[in-house]
Amino acid sequence: MSQRDLVAELRAARTAAPTEVRERVRRVAAADESRRTRRFTWRRALVVALPAAAAVAAAVVFTRPTSQPSAVHGEVAVTPQAADRSRATLPKSALGGGARLAPLSAPSRVQQVEATLALRVPTPDGVSSAMQRALRIARSYGGYPVYVDAGSRPKSASADLTLKIPRANLREAMARLSTLGTITSEHLDVRDVTAGINETDRRIARSQRELAALRAQEQTPTVKRRVAQVTATVVRLQRQKATTLRNAHFATVSVHLATPARATAPHTAHHGPLHRLGTALMWLGIGAVYVIVLGTPIVLVALLGWLAARTIRRRREDALLGQP
Amino acid sequence: MKMTFAQAAEAHLDDVYGYLAWFTGDRAAADDLAGETFERALRLWHRFDPGRGSARTWLCQVARTVALDHFRSERRRTRREQLAAVPERFEERFAEGLAPDLQAALGVLTAGEREVVALRVVLDLDASTAASVLGISATNCTSRLNRALKKLEEALDVAA
Repeated sequence: MSQRDLVAELRAARTAAPTEVRERVRRVAAADESRRTRRFTWRRALVVALPAAAAVAAAVVFTRPTSQPSAVHGEVAVTPQAADRSRATLPKSALGGGARLAPLSAPSRVQQVEATLALRVPTPDGVSSAMQRALRIARSYGGYPVYVDAGSRPKSASADLTLKIPRANLREAMARLSTLGTITSEHLDVRDVTAGINETDRRIARSQRELAALRAQEQTPTVKRRVAQVTATVVRLQRQKATTLRNAHFATVSVHLATPARATAPHTAHHGPLHRLGTALMWLGIGAVYVIVLGTPIVLVALLGWLAARTIRRRREDALLGQP
Repeated sequence: MKMTFAQAAEAHLDDVYGYLAWFTGDRAAADDLAGETFERALRLWHRFDPGRGSARTWLCQVARTVALDHFRSERRRTRREQLAAVPERFEERFAEGLAPDLQAALGVLTAGEREVVALRVVLDLDASTAASVLGISATNCTSRLNRALKKLEEALDVAA
């Protein structure tokens, strides 16, 4: 018999499943009909969950507050509270229209005011001229500089000034100072010392009443010693009050002038919507290198293991099926 | 579109049964294994992807796994029985209508050879599909078939 005849005969002898097997399989299939298809599988869940997690992570990363100046608009008014220390901070704001933190004047209150103003000036020459103008502004309002520090490099410069400006003129002075550059940060510290002054006044009055009573007495050595002590207390309290009032008369204004940071200047000026893409790609590249370096040996070992397991399985299978 | 399990079972039951009958050389075992194959296939039906192959191929792969489990358990059973008595020898009957000499010649083939004959000749699968069921290359599958047919031919010549 030729191979062709052999194949033809083998093909002609097809085997049909017996009725009982057919019935059994139909029962099995009928069970499937009554069973609903599983909609939830781990694979489907992963297909949904992984992109969702990636989207959430991307949203968190890309909507994080940046270190760049953000445009903040809005009036910030500081109303000092009696016997309170009020602070108002607006870091790195860009209040184009001038300093908004200048305190409302409260002539009936005694307050110690400290203000800090950081300004960005485009050029090193601009820093120098802005410093000169700041000094002139301070003098024009009856103030004076207490500290000046300026430094420059070929492409950058900075200057720090501490000015004393009469509190009554602080608002106007701050408004003019803020026009010297772009505000990058602003800080205002107001401390109300009216209560302390009132307490000092009360102690002075008490001491003076005591002094009057002592002077009315017979001037024994003890009384004289006591009169001297109380007199010294009154003098000390009056000096303390005068110092406090003098300090409160002038507000301390610290002005920091600087050119933009050299490394960030060219990039910060023109931020497009994809300005973070480069950073993201850089991190992706770093991650890819790590994955390749650490993952390659693991993948190789896994591959070798899989090949070995497959070879063993095939040999066992061949041995199993190699018998008649 | 993916067919339902019932449709696949109805359409390919004879093929799966024939494959198992040829593979095992035991119709009684094929009866049991066919039922077991479809029970297992039902459990795994959600994994069947029509894009990767036909339902018939997939069912044959499931049947092969079931048959291999059967062979392993049979071998363990035979080893145990060999210690006590002569193992029971079942009468091989692969299909109706086969000539007795061909039936006897088929008994000479190994299970692996019968399997490839069943897939390539009886079920008429092409080389690559049969190879995917067997987990080997198409070339290997073809050479295995040629060896089996030659062996069968020689057995028939000897019998004649």
